[in-house]
Amino acid sequence: MLRKIVPRNARAKRFLKNREAKTEENIKTAIFIRGSKTSQIVNDALSDLYMLKKPHAINFTKKNEIHPFEDQSNLEFFSQKNDASLFVIGTHSKKRPHTLTFNRMFDHRTLDMLEVSLDNCTPMKDFKTPKSAIGMKPSFLFNGDMWDQHTHYKMFKSMLLDMYHGQTVEKVALAGLEYVISVTAGPLTPEGKPGKVYLRVYTITLKRSGVKLPRVELEEMGPSMDMTFGRITEAKPEDWKQALKVPRELKPKKKKNISRDEMGDTVGRVHLGRQDFEKIQTRKMKGLKKRATEEDGDSAGAEKRQRVDDSDDEE
Amino acid sequence: MDVSEVLAAHKQKFKSVTVEGKLIPVDYDLGLIAAYDQNPVDEIELKDNAQLLLNEIFQLPTVSDDNGIMAMLPTPTTQLPREKPLPKPKPETRWEKFAKAKGIVKRKKERMVFDDNSGEYKPRWGYKGINDDGTKDWIIEVPQGSNPMEDQYEARREAKRERVDRNEKRQQRNLEEAVVAAKMDQRAIGRGQRPNMDNARAMKRKELENQILISKAATASAGKFDKGLKDDLKARGVRRQFAPNVVADMSNEKSESMSILNKIVGKNGEDLVNVRKVEARHKKAQM
Repeated sequence: MLRKIVPRNARAKRFLKNREAKTEENIKTAIFIRGSKTSQIVNDALSDLYMLKKPHAINFTKKNEIHPFEDQSNLEFFSQKNDASLFVIGTHSKKRPHTLTFNRMFDHRTLDMLEVSLDNCTPMKDFKTPKSAIGMKPSFLFNGDMWDQHTHYKMFKSMLLDMYHGQTVEKVALAGLEYVISVTAGPLTPEGKPGKVYLRVYTITLKRSGVKLPRVELEEMGPSMDMTFGRITEAKPEDWKQALKVPRELKPKKKKNISRDEMGDTVGRVHLGRQDFEKIQTRKMKGLKKRATEEDGDSAGAEKRQRVDDSDDEE
Repeated sequence: MDVSEVLAAHKQKFKSVTVEGKLIPVDYDLGLIAAYDQNPVDEIELKDNAQLLLNEIFQLPTVSDDNGIMAMLPTPTTQLPREKPLPKPKPETRWEKFAKAKGIVKRKKERMVFDDNSGEYKPRWGYKGINDDGTKDWIIEVPQGSNPMEDQYEARREAKRERVDRNEKRQQRNLEEAVVAAKMDQRAIGRGQRPNMDNARAMKRKELENQILISKAATASAGKFDKGLKDDLKARGVRRQFAPNVVADMSNEKSESMSILNKIVGKNGEDLVNVRKVEARHKKAQM
């Protein structure tokens, strides 16, 4: 267990405050760990994934005796110590060769875990092409119809988005869209087990197209990984519910009198206020037109009549 | 010369940015800059998907910034789990409750204030701040009726220290009450709301009253012959209980008596006699 740190100066206090739970969270930090035995393929994959995640990543270069599906106490300790909530653990054994395990934490406890084994990998350094700058925001392409249908694919998609989407921002620099992570889901195996996933990373070049929208050219920058799904630990429903809670401050504010109908059209109700019937413009007719002179005469006559009435009363 | 020809020729020079032939339209989550193409894998052209996604991004409303042209992203639709639970709301302090009742609104104050004595702007508090409460004055008039030998600087420092101490005590009290309130109002905590502090305050009051009652009764006659005050605290809800005089089963009474006896002499009479002491005394007497 970590000892409880009591801040002794303002800097330490600020540092600890930054680690506390808050409405708008920090970018999740990922830790890349090598297990007790790794292969070159796993090492390359880990360092490439680390390069893509930088600067919000920590690379553990020493080996660690970690078996994430048996015991997560080590990971939970690392999570608390480094304030990290994402882990990629690389291992290599006879039974499970070239394996990466993606682990996600909620409140420093394991939320869900997914294992993939690497089949066909080309590290980033083998592509002799220009790379994107470190810390750029990636675009994502998820190809294939499996992404919403199978738990393994669903979790992989969620993990990948979670790891690389960075801060949720209101605006993005158009010139900063430098690379795209493309993941293609292969079909299920004939036995109905989850099949393969193909991860590719491309740099984007924007060319002139003669219209306002640019022409997109892709060039592979690496890494390129073909993966097969292995073991999986799904999140407990109650933990998952807690983790998906959105703070009230970040929820979109309901707009009054604006709704959407079944067709997806926005329908608004507008209040015009009370209508003044005195000033309403009805149909114009010549006979109803007021004439200035007649009006004066009329009012004088009314006055006279009034006076006559008054005298009657007195009598 | 026909203009349309020129335009067509100009268009010929560039490759098209439009993508056709998608059976299922591509879904987008522009908040995360992501595209989900549900078409069967063998028909998917990667470059087309990238083109489609960037077309969507480039069609978003833009603003100009120091970083160049920025596209305004909508809020993401894909839900991603949080890293930590929602922050717990801070419990209401006594001051906050009072301020709410009185309608006192917290207003932002400038950090730097003009100091008349030095003619400069100084921080309201902290290092080189103006809240020294006169302890930094170079001369202090001795107030009338006070001891002329008394150190007025020390008096002012003492007054300030007392004020700070009092405030710290209040902070401590708020913290203690917050702990109790959180325990008593788990329901509000579960809903992510502030716990009701009134419960904690009422309980603290009750506890204090109990302690007073106990200390009052701690006299030789257990409070029986003490003269009570007019509006003094009275023990509420205390009923005298009497055991029935005649009972068929005596085992209960026996066990009660035994428990008292055990409490006094220890279980099995172990502590009744200090054997070592007795032995030593016996030996001494024999010699």
